[in-house]
Amino acid sequence: MSLVSDSPVNSSSSDDFAAFLDDALDSGDSSQSSPDDDEDNDKDKDNHNDLEAQLPNDLDTQRIKRRKVAEELENIEELQASTSHSSLEQTLEASKKKDECTHPGSFGEMCILCGQRLQAESGVTFGYIHKGLRLQNDEIVRLRNTDMKNLLRHKKLYLVLDLDHTLLNSTELRDMTSEEEYLKSQTDSPQDVSKGNLFMLTLMRMMTKLRPFARTFLKEASEMFEMYIYTMGDRAYALEMAELLDPQREYFSSRVISRDDGTQKHQKGLDIVLGQESAVLILDDTEHAWTKHKENLILMERYLFFASSCRQFGFNCKSLSELKSDESDTDGALATVLEVLKQIHKIFFDELKDNLVDRDVRQVLKTVKKEILKGCKIVFSRVFPTKYQAENHHLWKMAEQLGATCTTELDSSVTHVVSNDVGTEKSRWAVKHNKFLVLPRWIEAANYMWQKKPEENFSVKPNEELITPVCSNANS
Amino acid sequence: MFFHIVLERNMQLHPRHFGRNLRDNIVAKLMKDVEGTCSGRHGFVVAITGIENIGKGLIRDGTGFVSFPVKYQCVVFRPFKGEILEAVVTMVNKMGFFAEAGPVQIFVSNHLIPDDMEFQSGDMPNYTTSDGSVKIQKDSEVRLKIIGTRVDATEIFCIGTIKDDFLGVINDPAAA
Repeated sequence: MSLVSDSPVNSSSSDDFAAFLDDALDSGDSSQSSPDDDEDNDKDKDNHNDLEAQLPNDLDTQRIKRRKVAEELENIEELQASTSHSSLEQTLEASKKKDECTHPGSFGEMCILCGQRLQAESGVTFGYIHKGLRLQNDEIVRLRNTDMKNLLRHKKLYLVLDLDHTLLNSTELRDMTSEEEYLKSQTDSPQDVSKGNLFMLTLMRMMTKLRPFARTFLKEASEMFEMYIYTMGDRAYALEMAELLDPQREYFSSRVISRDDGTQKHQKGLDIVLGQESAVLILDDTEHAWTKHKENLILMERYLFFASSCRQFGFNCKSLSELKSDESDTDGALATVLEVLKQIHKIFFDELKDNLVDRDVRQVLKTVKKEILKGCKIVFSRVFPTKYQAENHHLWKMAEQLGATCTTELDSSVTHVVSNDVGTEKSRWAVKHNKFLVLPRWIEAANYMWQKKPEENFSVKPNEELITPVCSNANS
Repeated sequence: MFFHIVLERNMQLHPRHFGRNLRDNIVAKLMKDVEGTCSGRHGFVVAITGIENIGKGLIRDGTGFVSFPVKYQCVVFRPFKGEILEAVVTMVNKMGFFAEAGPVQIFVSNHLIPDDMEFQSGDMPNYTTSDGSVKIQKDSEVRLKIIGTRVDATEIFCIGTIKDDFLGVINDPAAA
């Protein structure tokens, strides 16, 4: 036993005593030195930690204490039966691991697990749930996994909804044209929000029109999805709109995400959505907001009710408000997309064979989409600029996503020629061989309406202006 | 924990308040300024219970304002680490739940909710035991232990736990 050399306290006057102790303890310990059970082990480790802490400070400890020191060193050496140095480190490390909190997240700069104050701000902010709440990536993954199981048990998926131009359309009062003035007398009372669909928000100086079918849509979608609102508007606006859409707070509860909560500017991201990406569907009218999650996205036709919104997107035609018209309630864009959502939900839960957890809604979305123009073989004529790489054009890609085959060569298997002009060589070929000659809009319509539209409605007329501006809702 | 303590504050008063009601004006302004505020040292000032004394006013140069040193008794509320508190649940989500004890906002992470309680989503999200006998949802009252506090100028944040003996729901709004 090497108490004398190990101990930092090494005054000559106590040497004899230490030696005596060594002897006494050696003999005494043998009786109690085979504690194999864990409890004793742990106790010893703890004691040992105390000892570690004390050693540097207690240079002037009294003999009693030194005796304790001796005893503990003894125990450890006997127990570990290895070189004392390495075993010391091991025990130290083990106990450190036990004490150290991983700080999975923070609330008001405190760890949510151990309550410690955290200096460095790290992790993702979840300001939309509660001010001052942040979570680390590991914790987000853990939450997503547990939530996923829970959700699948209820046969639900996630649905992220955009507000503007998807579920509703807002305009500032000062941007309203004289032809829209009549709307001001038709607004619904803010007292009973759940019935109306046109609201004047005097405080925000705005007027908001819900998209036809929005209420039915939310009601039916809420049975299949856990829904989030995700808007590029600011927080106050997002909450105001959520109040209009969901006055009972039964659909969204606190899942309203606004521009202020996003982690990247001008981008929407699923990183702050507490759902696994393989189970999230997104409804939005702006594709480039979701660059990282295009596979989850169902692109919506823009709902442009007010004149100011039409102008914003470059349409010079009369707006729906000015025409005193609106999208169709029963087969407008929301009704169409609800059918698609139902179909995807059904395939996901009832038709896929593999394990629930391994299913991917993005794959389902892709397959459903591929059915739309399945079997069509498309040739484009004078749609792309001559030097343009045809495969990269968005219409080409769109057609392929819809399940059509695109080619540049004419042969008998071609079914559709897409062109704006009846005069091109390929167009004339199509007419001659009795193939469909359709406008590029036909593909876009199929993309938005999720079904193949009758080709007759999109036939190319002679002398039609090149690329007719697609006035919003022309299909309804 | 609540404390009844004496605090001091310099009150600046506009000369228009001088006159017979000077004292009342000072007290009224003090209440308006102090009640409901937070200080990192003392916590949340709940109410002023009395005025110990109002010192001699000192005219500020150039402005005409007069500052009076006021000593007042007040009840303050400050949560401590390790303290047991009763709080009302304000929001339940998959991360845990938020509760309030007066001005204090407390977050209880689902790590610190007993393992046998599971999150149930829906329009009334809650944490429920497998047999359904105990349920934590919005407006439930819970007894919890504070494990971390942070007091800033206007708010007090706490981290709490109910993963310990004798902690958890103390009344059930659904049953009531």
